Amino acid sequence: MTRRSLRDNPKRELWLAWGATVFFYNLYAVVFFLFTHIQPPGQPWYSPDQASTWFTEHHHGLGIGLALIFVFGGLSATSIALITYSIRRMSVSRAFSYSYLIIYSVSAVPGFLFICVALTAGIMRPERSPQLQHWLYQLGFLSFSGTMGVFLIGSLIWMCAILLDGNRVFPKWFGYLNLCNALTEVVVSPSWIFKTGVFPWNGLIAWWIDVVIFGIYTGVFITLLRSMIIREDFGTGPLPAVPAWRFWQSPVETAP
Amino acid sequence: MTVAEVSTPPCRTRQVPGQPDMWFFVLFESLIFTSYFCVYLYYRAQHEAAFLAAQSQLTLWLGVVETIVLLTSSWSIARCVEQSRNGRYDVARRDAFLTAGFGVIFLILKVVEWVRQIHLGNTFSSGDFFQYYFFLTAIHLVHVLIGFVVVGVAIHQLSSPRRRSQELVETCATYWHTVDFLWVLIFALLYVVR
Repeated sequence: MTRRSLRDNPKRELWLAWGATVFFYNLYAVVFFLFTHIQPPGQPWYSPDQASTWFTEHHHGLGIGLALIFVFGGLSATSIALITYSIRRMSVSRAFSYSYLIIYSVSAVPGFLFICVALTAGIMRPERSPQLQHWLYQLGFLSFSGTMGVFLIGSLIWMCAILLDGNRVFPKWFGYLNLCNALTEVVVSPSWIFKTGVFPWNGLIAWWIDVVIFGIYTGVFITLLRSMIIREDFGTGPLPAVPAWRFWQSPVETAP
Repeated sequence: MTVAEVSTPPCRTRQVPGQPDMWFFVLFESLIFTSYFCVYLYYRAQHEAAFLAAQSQLTLWLGVVETIVLLTSSWSIARCVEQSRNGRYDVARRDAFLTAGFGVIFLILKVVEWVRQIHLGNTFSSGDFFQYYFFLTAIHLVHVLIGFVVVGVAIHQLSSPRRRSQELVETCATYWHTVDFLWVLIFALLYVVR
């Protein structure tokens, strides 16, 4: 693509936002799973001394990884913006997009910034007493896993918008997938109560199964946002269909 | 495009009742519950004696009544679909209300059962079995609560001649049957399997 055609491409901002979204989620996965070992989370039953040791053992990974998140974490706004854009493109009230935008903007704080602040405070003052380090350790992981409920209403708003939409911005099955994702936000809430078993913040049900569902959901919505940009005609009516999608659409929807 | 083509109604070759998209939800949600059941059965096999002892404190007849109530609600939503297909919308709407009524009875019975267990000293955090019991029954009850909204959509569709989308009514019924189907599995695993 030449420089001129890129400049004239009306979708360049949308592609920029989509590219930033892909970059953010990849960075998030690399930092949280490989650099910092925040995911899978540390043991919930650690004593103060063990929590203090955990900070020492992960000092470098946490330092580099969380620094990257502090620098690039703001890119999470691009996915929220694109999703809000997608809802605006639908035939539903703007109240849906405004509600989604506000909820997800607020949710980013407990969603991933709280844990970054708490764990950074833990590694940057290692001389602190083990009790205080333990408090920061628990605050970090509990705020990260235990507050997933803040995303519940946001997912349901997106679901309702998709199901009510007449512009075929997203297939209806993705609306129902939003419901599946929203229900996992409920499942993680027992992590406030348990330290062992399948329901604590690293439990088989509360974390492992949920993270698989969230991974599928994230991959699907990034792919569907890409399809939306390809199909975008900057009009106000139904988006042009892509042949591959017809498999998922009911005959009534695909009829002229 | 000719005028004749425009005026021709869309040819519908439906393979499943309701929106195919809802069947995607049924499949995905069933997979999620299957993973919960696998985890439950694995830990049950590890601590069989403790699970059996805790399981014996459940009231089997109450579980049976709840199952019968939900199966009856599935029958009434199936009747609703059938009546709607035959154009008897008032009867279909009555059947949808009946479904919601059975759902309310199930809800009341479930809350009564929970209160009874809590009075016996069995709470969410009082042992492995009751962790699964409260978790599985609670997450299922959340599905029932969503089901009330879904049945409400069916009633809304059936209430006015301007709407009455048979596809939507069938989609709502599919959701309700899923809730029923999941309960039968939960009932079998928690109450019956010894």
